[in-house]
Amino acid sequence: MNDNVITVKNLVKYFDGRCVLDGINLKVPRGCIYGLLGRNGSGKTTIIRILLGLEPPTRGRTFLLDAESTELSAKLHGRIGYVAEGHNLIQNYRVGRLIKLCKDLSLQWNDEFFNHLIETFRLPADRKVKELSIGMRAQLNLALAMAIDPELLIFDDPTLGLDTVARRQFLELAIDLIQQQGRTILFCSHILGDVERIADRIGILAASKLVVDCPLEELKERVKKLRVIFPESAPANLHLTEIINQQIQGREMVITAANWNKQKQTILETFKPSSCTEIPMSLEDIFIECTKPNPEYIES
Amino acid sequence: MFALIKREVRDHIVYFIGAAAFSAVFIIMAISILHNYDLRRQPPAFSIVLGIPAITIVIFGICAMGSTQMYLDRTRKISALLSTLAISRNRILLARIITGILAILTLLVPLIITAVILMRFVSFLFPFPMFPGIVFNISVTVFLMAFACYCIGLQAGWNSNPLTPSLGALCLTCILLPLIIVKGFGLHILVILVLFIVASLLRTWHTFMTTSL
Amino acid sequence: MKTLIKGLALNYPVKVFATGLVVLVLLSLPLFWMRFTCETSLFFRMSNEAKGVSIAPSLLVPDELEKDPNVVSPSRASANIRYQRPMSLGIFDYFIARLPGGRFTNVYLFKSYGEWMYFDIKTGQLVHSYLEEQVMPDKTPFRKKVQLYIGPEGVSETADKALGRFINPIIDHGWTDVMQRQSRELMIFDKKLRCFFKIDFNQRTTTKGPKIGKESPVQKPIKIGRLSKNLWLFEDHLSWIPPQIKSSDKNQSNKPIPIIQTYLNHDAGPYLLVLDESGEIGLLDKESLTIAGVSGRLPAPETYFGSKSTVRPRDLLDYEVLPLILTTYFFEDPEEVRMAFGDMSYFFKRKPSRVEKNYLGIFATGVSRDGSALALTVFDEKGKEIESEYTKFNKQEGLRTTPVNSGKAVFFEAPWASTLTIGKYLAENLHPPILSIASYFTASAFEADAGHRALFFLPNSFIAMKGRERPVNFAERFFSALWLILPSIILAILLSIRVSKDAVVVGLSENTRLYWIIGTLAFGLTAYITYRLTRPKITLLTCQNCGRPRRPDMAKCHRCGSKWNVPELIPPAWRVLNGTEQIDDSSTTDEEKTGVE
Repeated sequence: MNDNVITVKNLVKYFDGRCVLDGINLKVPRGCIYGLLGRNGSGKTTIIRILLGLEPPTRGRTFLLDAESTELSAKLHGRIGYVAEGHNLIQNYRVGRLIKLCKDLSLQWNDEFFNHLIETFRLPADRKVKELSIGMRAQLNLALAMAIDPELLIFDDPTLGLDTVARRQFLELAIDLIQQQGRTILFCSHILGDVERIADRIGILAASKLVVDCPLEELKERVKKLRVIFPESAPANLHLTEIINQQIQGREMVITAANWNKQKQTILETFKPSSCTEIPMSLEDIFIECTKPNPEYIES
Repeated sequence: MFALIKREVRDHIVYFIGAAAFSAVFIIMAISILHNYDLRRQPPAFSIVLGIPAITIVIFGICAMGSTQMYLDRTRKISALLSTLAISRNRILLARIITGILAILTLLVPLIITAVILMRFVSFLFPFPMFPGIVFNISVTVFLMAFACYCIGLQAGWNSNPLTPSLGALCLTCILLPLIIVKGFGLHILVILVLFIVASLLRTWHTFMTTSL
Repeated sequence: MKTLIKGLALNYPVKVFATGLVVLVLLSLPLFWMRFTCETSLFFRMSNEAKGVSIAPSLLVPDELEKDPNVVSPSRASANIRYQRPMSLGIFDYFIARLPGGRFTNVYLFKSYGEWMYFDIKTGQLVHSYLEEQVMPDKTPFRKKVQLYIGPEGVSETADKALGRFINPIIDHGWTDVMQRQSRELMIFDKKLRCFFKIDFNQRTTTKGPKIGKESPVQKPIKIGRLSKNLWLFEDHLSWIPPQIKSSDKNQSNKPIPIIQTYLNHDAGPYLLVLDESGEIGLLDKESLTIAGVSGRLPAPETYFGSKSTVRPRDLLDYEVLPLILTTYFFEDPEEVRMAFGDMSYFFKRKPSRVEKNYLGIFATGVSRDGSALALTVFDEKGKEIESEYTKFNKQEGLRTTPVNSGKAVFFEAPWASTLTIGKYLAENLHPPILSIASYFTASAFEADAGHRALFFLPNSFIAMKGRERPVNFAERFFSALWLILPSIILAILLSIRVSKDAVVVGLSENTRLYWIIGTLAFGLTAYITYRLTRPKITLLTCQNCGRPRRPDMAKCHRCGSKWNVPELIPPAWRVLNGTEQIDDSSTTDEEKTGVE
């Protein structure tokens, strides 16, 4: 058995001549909670859809639970729980009918757990799905995904539309699942506070590339934001590589750099700054820095 | 698989009801004709004149069913949901096709049974087999033609533009249906229809398996 | 099995063949209707003069009768093309072939008043039921239902294995005519037993003839007695008028006035006509049940490209053969000589003392495959051809009239005929060239009637007509036939050039491109439509290196071989990746292609 539940090799995807993904390489180990982040239209949902076999890749290969995505068997699908962006449910079905359908088509079904979820979320069985609010649809989708006791959970913005309480409930559920051995979660979300709370590993998409793919703690270590004050005006070029962002205002320079190490520190010190303080960054801050467009830093 | 078929049947129950209703109407017409006409003298020509457009409407309905199944799937993203459950695209399409066959059989089986029974009564008028095998030949041909038109509906229906499934399927059915007039009910039409059906299904299968959901 | 099915479904050649088959069927149908409409309209627009032919005097009536001074108009044999093209459509043919007397039924006769005859396959016997007029002891007439079982060994009122089994019988369908049934004799030929049988209903006996020998001119009879292709349709396509005599001169002589009759009873006097598979018409001696000689053969009509010397029954859309017999009635009292018609001796107040029937010869007609030409031939009692006439159209050229063979005239000599001919020609040229060429070689393989419902081969096309032309130099005939499908060949070449160019743009491999070129040359429009439906649906991008369109699902440009570069994307120079992965923002080295044929 492969240690990696999800493997993506040189994935390229074009939509009508527009490149969305350009050579993505990604591995999600078993038992990991992987937060895949990116701005709108960066290709997160596309990667997930390709992984699940809903979309064919233009080039490259993707593997899910040791099987290629284009050849996923029914059994493998039964081991994956998926919450789609926009909660793709059959709108004109009643909730009860949809539940019965999913139950009949699943390999295993945790009735007790599911009923508990339905009661917690207070979902009406006799109402049509299209008559539910967005939040209730999200809850229903979540409950259906979790009821099959999946080995792998894929969430595409699962808390979209959920109120604060429901979001907290979801997070607690997710944490419960984490504690169960061997479960893997891949999820995308724009609420980075939630991601920061539960994710082990982070991936960030920008300009069709996976620019970040490492454990969360390591990310925070490697991406540094520094406020540097120089005795005279700040130099235009610090001769440092992997600068994510740089802002100069008189003698003050705020610089965000990737893979900060001693070598870079030494180079900075050659400019004899008056002071150099680190600005702590949350995941959200790192994400904004990494995905903010900065035309000054064009690959030469 | 049974759950999938049940879902398809329930979602398209109106076609089954229509098929059953048409079947009942045809049966009543057939019994009425036999009751009122002496077939030894002359078969009632109006039955053929009425029968042909009636069968045409029915076959258009079958085609529309195939078209609707695929169109609704595409617009409501039903297969996108189903293929994330413990089923493959193969089974989704197979369930769909089986549902189509069931609808055709809902229409034809009562008619065939009635025809066989009525032929037994008619055999009292004719002390020998007057048209041996005619019920079998016509039933098989009509079944295959209906299935072929259903396959056309499946191909044309996988489109997000509502005009293509309806007009496209209608045009192609109008082209295919007169094959019965050209070839009759013999072996030739059966071979053509079987090959057409196999080719159509292969094409539909390929489209469904490789398309994005 | 699952893997096989999945593989088949996703395999490109399978997809192409499947699509091609669907396109071929759906394209052939409108082309069929276009050809059918043009051909039917051409036929209906033919003038009546071009659809009929007659021979007067008939040349079979003895001179002493034909040239009798009392004769005001000579005998005349006429034939008309009455075939209705829509009847050849499958749905009509299916039912007609299953009516009594049809080719797919074992029922020979069915009358609503209770008389019928059919062949029971299970017992191998013919079953005949009829109403027999009988008289009760108190002289009251009544009709008794009689059912007879007829086998090779005898006739009985009860089913009996001892009667034997027929295996594949052909009966004389002329017997189904009420007039002929008066003779109470039925002739049967069994194809498997290869001998003739005579059933005598009065004596209730079966007489078996000897097996057909190798020396017999008729080896494979297909019809006996009534030699007419379409029993149910188009009766009386061949008609006969005897010499017309002035009515006031009827009884001027005491000589018995013979009755000349060729009505639909198909009575050939002491003989029975037998039609062979080769088109030869034999004479069966009704007494000895052996073939006594040859009475003639089916005539070959003149078509657009001329006619063949011999023709088989399957090559004709319709045919009919009528024997001419001279019936002489002799009366003891010469004063009771009467003029009467036919064999209706029961019309006489007194029965003639003797009836003599002399066989004079036959009239045979044949209608060409496309229904546009008819030939009428007269054969004498020895089977020698005396006269032939062919349908013609008299074309007016100023003051002159030029007769044109109707097989040619149908295409150009009626109003709108040229337009319809061009329509037919265009419809034939939109058909796949390879099937048109196959139609040339299989031109005679189709039965004439079936040719009118052929979808994929075109037995009634111009090229097929050329294929049936009287054989000359094969190469010359074949290449001149290719001229007839020249538009189709040109269209195929143009389409294959287009396909070839597009295949290069779309990035198909060399082999695939070659197959498509060959396929388009062979199948023309069908292949082109198939190509358009199956070509890869990928949005092409401009290659930065060569500037030509390239496929994004290929790792390298299929034109110049350069790797990928996505200039509109400017990824950052940095990465925060786990491990020691290097940034490689140049095009990927992955050689894998997805969905590439």
